Amino acid sequence: MTPPSFSRRPVLAGIAAAAAMIAAPALAAPAIGKPAPAFTAVDSTGKSRALSEFKGKTVVLEWTNDGCPYVQKHYKTDAMQELQKSAAADGVVWLSIISSAPGKQGYKTAAEANTWKTDTGAAPAAILLDPKGEVGRAYAAKTTPHMYIVNPAGTLVYMGGIDDKNSADPATLQGAKNYVVAALADMKAGRAVAQPVSAPYGCSVKY
Amino acid sequence: MTPRLAGLILALLVLIAPAARAAPVDTGHLKAELIAQTQAIAPGQTIQVALRQQIDKGWHTYWRNPGDSGEATKIAWTLPPGWSAGDFVWQPPEPQPAGPLVSYGYSGEVILPMTLTAPADAPVGQPVTLRAAAAFLVCEEICIPEDALLELTLPVQAQAAQPSGRWAGPIARALEAAPRRADLAAVFENSDQGLRLAITGAVLAGANLAGSYFFPFDGAVIDHAAPQSIDRGPQGLTLGLTASYAFQMPEPPQIMAGVLKAGDAYYEIEAQAGPLPAEAAGLGPPATRGGGLSAAGLGLPLAMVFAVLGGLILNLMPCVFPILAMKAASLAGHAHEAKAARGQGLAFLAGVLATFLTLAGVLIIAQAAGAAVGWGFQLQSPPVVAALALLMLAVALNLSGVFEIGTSLQGVGSGLAGRGGLAGAFFVGVLAVVVAAPCTAPFMAPALGWALTQNAASSLLVFAALGLGFAAPFVAVSFAPGLLARLPRPGPWMDHLRKVLAFPMYGAAAWLLWVLTLQAGPMAMARLLAAAIVLALAAWLFGLSQVRSGRLALRGGAAVLAILAVVAVLFPAYQGAALPGGESSGAVAELPYEPYSAERLAELRAQGAPVFVNFTAAWCVTCQVNEQVALARQGVAESLASTGAVYLKGDWTRKDDVIAAELARHGRAGVPLYLVYDTRGSEPVILPQILTEGLVVRALEAAAG
Repeated sequence: MTPPSFSRRPVLAGIAAAAAMIAAPALAAPAIGKPAPAFTAVDSTGKSRALSEFKGKTVVLEWTNDGCPYVQKHYKTDAMQELQKSAAADGVVWLSIISSAPGKQGYKTAAEANTWKTDTGAAPAAILLDPKGEVGRAYAAKTTPHMYIVNPAGTLVYMGGIDDKNSADPATLQGAKNYVVAALADMKAGRAVAQPVSAPYGCSVKY
Repeated sequence: MTPRLAGLILALLVLIAPAARAAPVDTGHLKAELIAQTQAIAPGQTIQVALRQQIDKGWHTYWRNPGDSGEATKIAWTLPPGWSAGDFVWQPPEPQPAGPLVSYGYSGEVILPMTLTAPADAPVGQPVTLRAAAAFLVCEEICIPEDALLELTLPVQAQAAQPSGRWAGPIARALEAAPRRADLAAVFENSDQGLRLAITGAVLAGANLAGSYFFPFDGAVIDHAAPQSIDRGPQGLTLGLTASYAFQMPEPPQIMAGVLKAGDAYYEIEAQAGPLPAEAAGLGPPATRGGGLSAAGLGLPLAMVFAVLGGLILNLMPCVFPILAMKAASLAGHAHEAKAARGQGLAFLAGVLATFLTLAGVLIIAQAAGAAVGWGFQLQSPPVVAALALLMLAVALNLSGVFEIGTSLQGVGSGLAGRGGLAGAFFVGVLAVVVAAPCTAPFMAPALGWALTQNAASSLLVFAALGLGFAAPFVAVSFAPGLLARLPRPGPWMDHLRKVLAFPMYGAAAWLLWVLTLQAGPMAMARLLAAAIVLALAAWLFGLSQVRSGRLALRGGAAVLAILAVVAVLFPAYQGAALPGGESSGAVAELPYEPYSAERLAELRAQGAPVFVNFTAAWCVTCQVNEQVALARQGVAESLASTGAVYLKGDWTRKDDVIAAELARHGRAGVPLYLVYDTRGSEPVILPQILTEGLVVRALEAAAG
């Protein structure tokens, strides 16, 4: 009979758009108390980094996008840099992750990421480049910033917002309850994380 | 002072007194202003004011719960002592999808009303200027925080101000549109079956619940991007939600408040944790709800546009190709007779329209009588398929030159222009529609699905639009002398063309034979083949009678044989063939699948397995093409294996009320229909009607999470 392509070609373009709309998958959220999703990603120095290499250490994952006003609130005030430094001093591994797709806000090449790190004085252990959004999707990262803490056993112990003030206004840092600070303090003191989840806020991750 | 004079002075005062004043502020991606429902305020009076946003096209601002990202619009008043303002009366939000995320917000114009109360000692006669700082997060793909310092100046007068002026109406409408508190009971439960929210109340009983949705006030209770499933009950509905962060807290939420969209109405609800009431579930999802190009919410104009598009695309579908061939042959015959060509075009159009409307009428009557029928139903009947196969064969033999229709053998170039030619074109139109049925073109399915759930007049209009679209290319060519003139002059090439075009018709006959075999088994096939040979002999005898003497005897013989052939296929009792599992729709490299049943689907979903459902039919060429080019590919098989998805196939080759009902539930009137159910109990994703391997693989992977 007629070859299949006869009917397909004229309509495929239209269908593709509709299909993309219909089939946009929801993200499956990881769970507190369960093993944190494993990942491997290349960092801004070109090195391949895996979550497993940090076993035995507390790991903070920070989703970031330098164009996002909510991220800027924490960087322009040096709040995030100070948090990164104090975490490092406590032996915590801080990984900043960029899941913006190429061409979208926040996307960075390795060189751009290194420049950004120098310019802002950011002090993460590594900046992971995730242009395909694979790490982001594994963690169902929705916003920038979106924070996750993995304990030395590899278990997810915190996920959510960096603090309780959904605002891009730097003035709101005053009096905000920083959940990451609180969780790291709980862990350092050998307590269970009192608030293991919170609603993340900020810009959408630009997958 | 007489009352009349007092009234006059008052009226003058009102005219002189300044009215409420405010100026819009452009913050970059929206214009914001404060508006008031009255032109003044009295001491102690509470009036409605509002923050009005005119948001640039493509940008949006946020609801009180912004969803996956974003930030609610905020307002901070700077009021003189004693004055007070209330909170926003939030308008129903719109879900704003962005990639895998969903936010809740507004686009276009939005009015957020709030109350404003003057103190009892506000000095009368002095206008008061009220200031507020509004903060917006405006997002397109990127987000920009924008601020506006807004002012509203109101005269303070002795008597209470009544709503008036430009904004009285819009503010009243915004208050009217806001979610209302109805007498609704709401309960939620987070169990192995996921997070479910049951809402019951008199206003929900029997209400149209298509498109129902829960917008939580708290941003951490549900996964905003996950589809929400709807199960209706006698007294309300149960929504299947996906629990989010809050349910991972050491103490999960005991209260879940938010806005319920039920059909077109919005209600504010506050759900308590507890066991779900039985009367809120059990009746299944509301009718006509689908994803993507959904039938629900498709108005008549849009349904007609889709129908015209669907009709146009139908011309390109493989099952219509033989008819295209006939059309081409017929048109070539009239290439240089503009008037005759126009007549042919119109006759073809009439044939197409008459057949579409007849089919629509039959469908409407059958549905009214309670039969579960849908598009393509005529091909579910073995005698119809068999008769069509013989018809195709007869047409093919005619094209091959075995016999002629009409008066003579004088050549195809001249003989068809008379009345017989018009009847012929009409007949081609009829035939084209009958054979086109198995090809549900994109755009056509939503339109037909919509049409068959509407009143008879709307249905007929949509079918007529389909016919117009279908006939349009042929009619257009027949009316465009410029195009006709480009066709080569008649000559021997036309006879060759005609004979070449016979072969697609033989192909169509062979395909119908295959369909019949699947429907009615090998005996039916044998009978049809025998009838086909008898018919071919009849055609040859008839052709002989056209060139030889002794016509009557030859024609008599031909007629007897033709009648025999038709009777042989029309009147036997067709038994249903036992369709063995692997054969029913005949893909070459068939994927392992299970036959569809509602019970099996429910069982698999309860087990949390992703499920791919394929509603197909042997006579549906679109379905067969999809099987070959997408489903039979290695990638799909691997994806099914790796995601653990179960493949269910519902075969609609023969009449099946269960499948017809399932199609209708998703707003469809025919096959193909492809559904992908995920592991989270959400509403299924409806795949497009033209599949690709990658599309199926992506949908399966998304469903597996």
